[in-house]
Amino acid sequence: MPPTTDVVLAVVFLPFVAAAVTPLVFRLLGERTAYYAAAVALACFALVSKLYFAGAHGSVAVEWIPSLGVSLAFYVDGLALLVAFLASGVGVLILTYSGGYMHGEPGQAKYYASLLAFMGSMLGVALAADLVALFVFWELTSLSSFLLIGHYTGEEASKYAARKSMLITVSGGLFMLVGFLVLVWASGQALPETTYRIPVLIEHADAVRTALGDAGLLVPVLLLLALGAGTKSAQVPFHIWLPNAMEAPTPVSAFLHSATMVKAGVYLVGRFRPLFLPPEAPILGEWTTLFAVLGLLTMTVAAVLAVSATDIKELLAYSTASHLGLIVAGFGFANAYGAEAGAFHILNHASFKAALFLVAGIVAHEAGTRDIAKLGGLRKHLPVTAVVAVVASLSMAGVPPFNGFYSKELLFEATYYAAEEMGGVGWLFPVVAVFGSVFTFLYSIKFASLFFGDEPDGLGHVHRPPVTMLVPPAVLGVLVLAISGQPNAFIEGLVGGVYGSVVPGDAHSFSVHLPTELSPYFVMSLVTMALGAVLFPFYDRIHAGVRTLLSGPVRANWWYDNAVDGATALSKRVTPLVQNGLLRTYVIWALAAVCALALGGYAALGVSLPPLTELAVTTPILLVLLVAVVGAFAVGIAPSHVAGVLTLSIVGFMVAIFYILADAPDLALTQLVVETLVLVIFLLVLDRLPAFYGRPRAAVAVRDAALSLVVGVTVFVTVLVSTASNPNKALAQFLAERAGVPSEHGSLIVDYGGGGNVVNVILVDFRGFDTLGEISVVAMAAIAVLTLIRMRSRGETQ
Amino acid sequence: MSTTVIAPLLVALCTAILTLLTRPNLRLLQGVSLLGAVAYLGAVAALFDRVVGGETLVYQVGDWAAPFGITLVGDALAAFMLGLAAIVSVGVLAHAVLYVDDFGQRLSFHPLYHFMMVGVSGSFLTGDIFNLFVWFEVMLMSSYVLVLFYGGKQHTRAALNYVVLNLLGSAVMLVAIGGIYATTGTLNMADLARRLADPAAYDVNVLPVLGLAAVLFSVFALKAGLVPFQFWVPAAYRAAPAPVTAMLAGVVKKVGVYAVVRLYFTIFAAASLPRALSLPGLAGDSALDFFGPVLFLMAAASVLFGGVGAVGRDDLDSVLAYSSISQVGFIVLPLAVAATVPSVRILGVTACLVYAFNHGLAKSLLFLVAGTVRESVGSTDFADLGGVAGRSPVLSAAFFVGALSLVGVPPLSGFFGKFLVFDVAARAFATGAAGAAATLAVALLGAVLTIAYYTRAWNAAFWGEPSERVEEFLGDDGSVVPDGGQSTAEAALSLGGMVVVLVAFAVAVVAFGIGFDVLYGAAEAAARAAVDTGGYVDAVAPAEVVE
Repeated sequence: MPPTTDVVLAVVFLPFVAAAVTPLVFRLLGERTAYYAAAVALACFALVSKLYFAGAHGSVAVEWIPSLGVSLAFYVDGLALLVAFLASGVGVLILTYSGGYMHGEPGQAKYYASLLAFMGSMLGVALAADLVALFVFWELTSLSSFLLIGHYTGEEASKYAARKSMLITVSGGLFMLVGFLVLVWASGQALPETTYRIPVLIEHADAVRTALGDAGLLVPVLLLLALGAGTKSAQVPFHIWLPNAMEAPTPVSAFLHSATMVKAGVYLVGRFRPLFLPPEAPILGEWTTLFAVLGLLTMTVAAVLAVSATDIKELLAYSTASHLGLIVAGFGFANAYGAEAGAFHILNHASFKAALFLVAGIVAHEAGTRDIAKLGGLRKHLPVTAVVAVVASLSMAGVPPFNGFYSKELLFEATYYAAEEMGGVGWLFPVVAVFGSVFTFLYSIKFASLFFGDEPDGLGHVHRPPVTMLVPPAVLGVLVLAISGQPNAFIEGLVGGVYGSVVPGDAHSFSVHLPTELSPYFVMSLVTMALGAVLFPFYDRIHAGVRTLLSGPVRANWWYDNAVDGATALSKRVTPLVQNGLLRTYVIWALAAVCALALGGYAALGVSLPPLTELAVTTPILLVLLVAVVGAFAVGIAPSHVAGVLTLSIVGFMVAIFYILADAPDLALTQLVVETLVLVIFLLVLDRLPAFYGRPRAAVAVRDAALSLVVGVTVFVTVLVSTASNPNKALAQFLAERAGVPSEHGSLIVDYGGGGNVVNVILVDFRGFDTLGEISVVAMAAIAVLTLIRMRSRGETQ
Repeated sequence: MSTTVIAPLLVALCTAILTLLTRPNLRLLQGVSLLGAVAYLGAVAALFDRVVGGETLVYQVGDWAAPFGITLVGDALAAFMLGLAAIVSVGVLAHAVLYVDDFGQRLSFHPLYHFMMVGVSGSFLTGDIFNLFVWFEVMLMSSYVLVLFYGGKQHTRAALNYVVLNLLGSAVMLVAIGGIYATTGTLNMADLARRLADPAAYDVNVLPVLGLAAVLFSVFALKAGLVPFQFWVPAAYRAAPAPVTAMLAGVVKKVGVYAVVRLYFTIFAAASLPRALSLPGLAGDSALDFFGPVLFLMAAASVLFGGVGAVGRDDLDSVLAYSSISQVGFIVLPLAVAATVPSVRILGVTACLVYAFNHGLAKSLLFLVAGTVRESVGSTDFADLGGVAGRSPVLSAAFFVGALSLVGVPPLSGFFGKFLVFDVAARAFATGAAGAAATLAVALLGAVLTIAYYTRAWNAAFWGEPSERVEEFLGDDGSVVPDGGQSTAEAALSLGGMVVVLVAFAVAVVAFGIGFDVLYGAAEAAARAAVDTGGYVDAVAPAEVVE
């Protein structure tokens, strides 16, 4: 049955409303706000359960931007429900745990508001059916993550980590957005109507894929989506933000950076899997090449890095990236086992990893350190925690009969069958999978071993954790045991639906069993465990060996730091060169661009110059203009300011004479008045300027001369080509005809313009509006003088 | 004839004059000024309401029929731009009343501010290219004075560069307008479009018009601050009082963008060129085919130079100034696609307008935040800042919202700007248009740079341990420790008022994002009006004058 709109909207928006009132609640409840927030999460969990038990499946939508066809559409299916259960369920535990963990910490109102907003965003990501709505919630998760990573705002490391996560995940999101937009475009080609709805796209997967393929866009779209998913889910080489994100308080790490937010990327891969992976997909199509390789690479590289970790949260962070790689690889394979592995591992990983993070939080909180070298023998002080840690670690290592074993076994199965079908290099898949899993086994056992053996000398007194911090990991530990004991019940009830969401066509469930015979993939598991057991005694050496290998360009961090610092350095080098504060430089660029544009415009249409012989220039005009040219040249070589201004006025007066010769006495008069005034003002001002600025360098002088020549040519060409044309000048003629004494030509000018001189009437009537503007300019010039004098004489700046 | 068209301009002009007359009484002056800004918003709303449906209103000044007199045209495009100006102006002025010192307000701030609005309104409304020049001058003259308002050394220096480059621009603009008049015989835009569309009927030689239009284009690029005309931007934005910078970046820059849309998409696009373009890299037979690549080069250079410039700056004002160069590149980028790919023309212009609107809101907000920080802490240098978020959370939240909006984080209004820019580029890319891949690459790289410089600024100024200055001037509880002669209560009240204005801006950024449908509708109507040359010409109906 289709879900109820109210319930779906309540699930998504309740946390946002709760986040908005959190500051008020914090004033009332203080630190007990944690339980308010946990109650909100519990309400969401109940609402999700309501959807689940009602057997809801299908879409609901609320109008948002009808003119773009964008709506707040939500879609409920197995995958959406699982992620929604994780977001709200783990949310209840994390927020309860925070009540103990955050005791006495700063910025709690902001902390709980951000966590609630995050939960709403994550629920939105899980349920969104519209690409734009999905993107909105997607970016909001990155944003709340930014605020939570930077929780300790005074710490340099927090700031670095927050900026890194923002740069990587939000940038990745923008690439993904471009991918979405291309998909939407393809939907317009493939379907009668453009759509933003994911279920509609999947329903017409073949047509959309064909449209993309025809335009050669299939690979670009996959790459863009992979960038979004890969940055969010910390896939190599974007895994680097996740270990830094551990600067956040540990509950945040457990919630956002292991159980939920980083799952958004793998969620996206699962969501789009049926769109790009048809039932008859080739064994190594574009999808598999991209995601199986990306996933296995991440799984292996991050597992190796986890072994190199010195801090328990760092270890868990790399481990998270590694397990996300496992899920991506699972979804990458075209066979059913891959989809099963991915679907099941989302649940399994969330259960054991959230438990382990909460364990790490207890250790850090109660033992006062997260340094692996300084920890050991914690079992005596933290007995309950130790049990949870061991159960969850064994599950993480993939040891039967724990739940992590089943999903890893499914991935081995997927790699094995893919290899068998492909042959040749295809066998690299199972080999790499085993290789990576050996490291997973190693660091898992290492984590569990912290609770055994002797206490190192440096370890101080270890406290007992408060019960609010102990119950949540215990609940998760029990969940791990429950899934391990009854895997098929969970598959039947939940994971089967996820499987149905990530494969094309009709959904069907699957089941898992403990191996009863020596199947090839069980052998892979046995090899993994055997190799791990053999190598574990050499853990410290491997740890040190990996660390020595990691230097310089081998590390993705090296690239990130160099890119970010390089951008800042580039900016500091380039900007002063361009914006050098010299007006001369600025004018050169501006004028050169004007000339390039003008000459480019003429050249593009092949404008030809009118023959110079056609220019009707009388001898007097020619003489006057020649004097002006000589004057202009003299300005350029004038030895002093006064000489320069005086020579400049020669040019001005010659132009005035030119106006007289060209029958424009009004203009000539204006020009003479302006010329005289300017000359006087110049001479008054020059008195206050330095007499001489010094000679320019020869190269500068030559450059300036060349540019002035180009500018001169440009203006000259412009005048030539525009005066050569002789358009219909009806407008000018109409006015000119009526410009004389009105009796001959009718009385338009006098009657309507109120004057006998057509130039005056144009200025004050036809185009009086221009004059109004110019009067404003003059008025402002007066205000300008006043402002300059008064503000300066006031002798201070604000 | 509709007086609704000229009303915004008259309201601004009357307010400017009234603020000159009420100088003796500061409170009255401020009241008149604010009331004027609100009345302006009302006048614009009235016009917007009438034209958003697609109607084009015309006002022939002095009742002289086009093309004899000057025509004002109020269509959806003009109304959209006026709406941006009016909304930003009300908020900026409210901030300015609290921010600019009483002496400056009493002296000349308000008349200059409203004259600037006169120039802006005239530029949006006029249908005559020479009249456009006049309103540019009005706008520039007031902005010259406002840039050097404080009259210090660095202000004068910045203003000198600003004035010289813009005077150069004015001279170039006159050359272009003179050339266009000599070539086509008209100044009226509608008449111009008509003559260019059917040159034979009017004996017009279209060939030189492309080059002349290119000369004119450089002036608009200068106003918009596109590379290589961006030189005046950083120093002028740093020198001007914060509310003035907010207006310069938020509204005045957009006049250049508007002029490009109006003249090139409505008017010059109509030109029927006698032959195809023949330069390497150019093809096609429309004027827009020439300006598309030009727009792309300038936009790409602006996005990248502004972005790289902003990443390394060490004070808030400079980061914002360089960001402005980059963001104008983003505004123009979809225009470049719209010019070359006819199938996305309306979408491209819509994207440009939506982006411009968001930039107007968000960048004004950010400059006002920078001003408020300067007012309370006395500096915007990162070396003097740090830990502002802990001391002044609301102020910091306002910055956060503005910055995220420019980054393009949903559901803020800026997200839809980015969304539409990407959409235009992606559609062009999908249809295999030349240069679309480069456009996408520039947009994505520019967006990454935007994240890089805003996160850097955020970390340096708002997060971190409080600096000595912040410790000194911002109390633990966010209260202001007074400096200068102001009493604590007065300073706190004035700062509180500024923060209220900032919150209003931030709320607007969120509201226009969540209620984007309204903004999109207006922008799309404006874009339709912008490409509807026929409708424009018919509405103005220039008289046929026979020789």
